[in-house]
Amino acid sequence: MAATLRNVTTYDLKLAAPLAAGFAVFFVTPLVILLALSFQTDPQGGHFGLTQYVNFLGDSFSLGVLGSTLWLGVKVTALTLLLGYPVAWLHQRSPGWAKGVIMLLVLLPLLTSVVVRTFAWVVILGRQGIVNASLLGLGLIDTPLKLLYTEGGVVVALAQVQMPLMVLPLITALGRIDPNLADASSVLGAGHWRTFRKVILPLSLPGIIAGCLLTYAAAITAFITQSLIGGGQMLFMPMYIYQQASTLQNWPFAAAISVIFLVAVLVVVSIFNVLGRLSRGYTNA
Amino acid sequence: MLLTRRTLMQTALTLGAMHAFPGLTWAQARPLVFATFTGSWEEAHKAVLVPAFRKATGNADMVLDPMLSVDQIAKVNAAKNNPPIDVMLHDPGPALQAIAQDLVEPYPVEKSAYYRDLIPAAQVPMGPAPFFQVVGITYNPETVKTPPTSWADLWKPEFKGRVGITNLNSTLGTGFMVELAKMHGGSETNIDPAFKALEALRPSLAAVAANPGQLATLFQQGQIDISPGNFNAIQILKARGVPVEFVIPKEGAIAFKTTIHIVKNSPNKELAFKLIEAALSPEVQAQLMDEPFLIVPTNTKVAIKGELAKTLAKDHAEIAKKFVFQDWAKINEQRSAWIERFNREIRV
Repeated sequence: MAATLRNVTTYDLKLAAPLAAGFAVFFVTPLVILLALSFQTDPQGGHFGLTQYVNFLGDSFSLGVLGSTLWLGVKVTALTLLLGYPVAWLHQRSPGWAKGVIMLLVLLPLLTSVVVRTFAWVVILGRQGIVNASLLGLGLIDTPLKLLYTEGGVVVALAQVQMPLMVLPLITALGRIDPNLADASSVLGAGHWRTFRKVILPLSLPGIIAGCLLTYAAAITAFITQSLIGGGQMLFMPMYIYQQASTLQNWPFAAAISVIFLVAVLVVVSIFNVLGRLSRGYTNA
Repeated sequence: MLLTRRTLMQTALTLGAMHAFPGLTWAQARPLVFATFTGSWEEAHKAVLVPAFRKATGNADMVLDPMLSVDQIAKVNAAKNNPPIDVMLHDPGPALQAIAQDLVEPYPVEKSAYYRDLIPAAQVPMGPAPFFQVVGITYNPETVKTPPTSWADLWKPEFKGRVGITNLNSTLGTGFMVELAKMHGGSETNIDPAFKALEALRPSLAAVAANPGQLATLFQQGQIDISPGNFNAIQILKARGVPVEFVIPKEGAIAFKTTIHIVKNSPNKELAFKLIEAALSPEVQAQLMDEPFLIVPTNTKVAIKGELAKTLAKDHAEIAKKFVFQDWAKINEQRSAWIERFNREIRV
């Protein structure tokens, strides 16, 4: 029987072959080359060893750059979640036409280039930008505030630029929650806040975790926004790698920094994954 | 032959593959690839150099591939035996790196019609300089009433919070540091005074730009009012109506010779040579000197005129007097250490 009846739940693995080949050639191979490069002891090539890693890990400045980059991601993700959740919530609670409008507003930024969105922030945060101009006009400040080229500026701009990555998974997660659950909760005597805390929030956890993961990864690797809003005196990992690889042509060190950055990001991602698995257990319980 | 769907598909796929992988079609050599700089240089080369080259070679096939010097080096380095670029354009720092890494051919000086007419500083056997970049003080004439006259003016208290500089990733930023060192008794080998001076400048800094292009936009947005700046970068802003002026400080303008090189193992050496010859020719250089390009010529047969004569120098003798050329071989030796130090010390 088994030989004649095709099992519809198993698929031919060969279908994945083109993608696998593509991955092998364009992703795995460069990664292996990068790894090999990072073990070269000097830019001219030749010897292999752990010099580059020792240089990075033994240097408080380099570790500081790594730390501030990872911390930047945390701040951006937190802000995006804080601002994105209400938007997703609103989308969930709106009538059909308003849902369309909100979705359009969320997706619209994705249709413009990151460079354009970032430049908009340069204009907004500048000395004569919208923020400073209004504050000056209202008489709240006498001299323009320094908003551009500050970490706060970078966080705000990154949060806006990466917002769709947070809102979309949240909308999906909230959309999956049966509206009757909220009604049931209030019938049973729970207030809005309690319903949200005990029912909606736990059920939307998978969306929160997916959104945080995407935003975090995008925020810490956002070369353009980091360098345009942060300026030349704020150093994060992407710029550090660029500086070593391009300006200084020190490929082995750049490769080592990249590998360390990659590992650090993978660690953060696996923490998110563990949280995701825990949350799934929580929501199913 | 019948035109079936299958034969049509085959033809289309073959043509597509030939297009995607030009190496497959070895009967046809690839066009000459000239890696120019982005922005105003690309525009200038597209408008003047490319037509001159086409005329000189009977419409030979060529493409412009604009990118930064360091990216050109990376690209050629990645495929030394079959380089994707035939002609490279370099600032002094990257030029020395390219030569040291054995990526460029010596220029066939004896074959050249124009090499000997270049000013001495532009006669580089590994790749002559078709133009200079000139760095002086740029400022906003609407907010800076008395035009600055010296680099020291950047430290004036009235410019507090209004000064812009770039970090050392750029030639501009590094060159400015060396000039700072020289002003305070240092040199290409002694950069300490520059870092000390920069420390004193810190309260005045409105921005440390990540690259010279960003510096230009900062003027546009009124974020900064005074900065070291590239003469040509200012011209684009001026043309757009941004209030910005350029002066040569009394210490002299920092000049970077921009050299042009034939890439080693290029399959188009002959065409590459012809392109460079066109770039060195008095006709092309005279045209590039005019508005809106205002590029400083290096060929002594070109008489300096117009806006250049007014703002920069009236002839090549004055150029030699007013322009400061720095020793990039010495700078390169320590540049990574400086960048590292800048990373550490100039943080906010």
